[in-house]
Amino acid sequence: MKLSELGPEFKTEVMSHKEAEGLNLCFACGTCTAGCPIHEIFYEYDPRKLAKMVKLGMREEVLASPYIWYCTTCRNCEQRCPQNVKFFDILNVLKNMAAKEGYAPHSWIEQTKQIMKNGIIFSITEELKEKRRALSLPALKYNGERAKKILKLTGIDKVKDQGKA
Amino acid sequence: MRRYALFLGCTTPTQVLQYELASRWICKQLGIELVDIEDFVCCGINQSNISIEAGLLLASMNLALAERRGLDILTLCAACTGQLAEAVEKLEDPKIRDRVNSKLKTVDLRYKGKVRVKHISRILYEDIGVDRLKEKVKIDLSRLRIAPHYGCHYLKPASAFKGFDDPDNPKTLHHLISATGAYPIDYETINLCCGGKSFPVSEDIARSLVKSKIDNLMLKKIDFLVVQCQTCYLMYRGQQRALNQKFNRNYNIPVLLYPQLLGAAMGGDLRDDLGIHLNGISLDDFTKKLGVDLPYIKR
Repeated sequence: MKLSELGPEFKTEVMSHKEAEGLNLCFACGTCTAGCPIHEIFYEYDPRKLAKMVKLGMREEVLASPYIWYCTTCRNCEQRCPQNVKFFDILNVLKNMAAKEGYAPHSWIEQTKQIMKNGIIFSITEELKEKRRALSLPALKYNGERAKKILKLTGIDKVKDQGKA
Repeated sequence: MRRYALFLGCTTPTQVLQYELASRWICKQLGIELVDIEDFVCCGINQSNISIEAGLLLASMNLALAERRGLDILTLCAACTGQLAEAVEKLEDPKIRDRVNSKLKTVDLRYKGKVRVKHISRILYEDIGVDRLKEKVKIDLSRLRIAPHYGCHYLKPASAFKGFDDPDNPKTLHHLISATGAYPIDYETINLCCGGKSFPVSEDIARSLVKSKIDNLMLKKIDFLVVQCQTCYLMYRGQQRALNQKFNRNYNIPVLLYPQLLGAAMGGDLRDDLGIHLNGISLDDFTKKLGVDLPYIKR
């Protein structure tokens, strides 16, 4: 990587999203990484490093990285940050940008399709209906009509599956 | 009589039916009326991965649906709790609320900002209270040692749960377990995430998180791991078996959902009211652990 390939454009692009506004407050202390359970078992996933990569302008390296999707959403990073940087939100912004470029994992795309069909991320099978009846639980009446209408407004239905990008 | 809109979410009513069953049963016993709202949808937390706006809109739709009926929301899933409570907080900003409402309009909904979202454990803790729960206990569970697991989104983002419990040093589930007579232990990995939200992307990574906690718990003398979220339940119950195969281990820690523990203490029918058999726990073993004769807890 050459210094000339770096620049502030990517950081500006990320910070144009309200959720990522606080990125400039990060002084790279690494408290987020120290408290991250994913980092503990998978060293390559490193919130501090990701924040620094954004600041340096490493757009492709960040957005194409499979690791950004490994976050388990425990929110320890933001909970413990002495600068009150919401890294969890920043990471969601990065994932949203990566999704637009075709890097979204199959599982999240599939769940969106299910919601637009069923209102929830699973389908309601005959077997499930029978199980619920056997336990005297009320029938589920979820449907995806409203969810589909509202989700289409966000363009999420156009996001491509990583495997098919 | 307390009334809440019951927010089941996606996973509980399709995969962890005993959580729904036991929750409905204890609420009925405690005078909490649960209203089923047929047009609720997914809370949107996973959709935030690919579109934060999509996640917020799904959450807002649910809030608007509860508000239309004049009800606050009772959740079972920790993640739904976090997502919906965070949406409530975001929607306090009139600018965001107006933007969201301009979109909700397409589905004839509008959110004014009146709904509160509470997890069932919080409702038991705040609305009913530990003292009244103790009065409802019929079966002595004092011989049980229990490891509590809170679930990350039960208390995070912290800004959405101000004045409730401390996410870094949580205590409410300890108190709720104590209310049943059982003893809640402390352990090193108590705040370790179950990995449930990593699982759809990397099963190995998610399973490693489960392994860390179970390795820790195998060194403790406990009768049950008690959780208050169906995703945490599925991770700890299901992935112990997967880990046993993969690493040739003998992990065997039984997992209960809190309403099942409370329900057992309140004398609920272990099968019909609480669905304990659905946790892969034999009712004979369960009653042995409780130290009571089987007929005593049968109807």
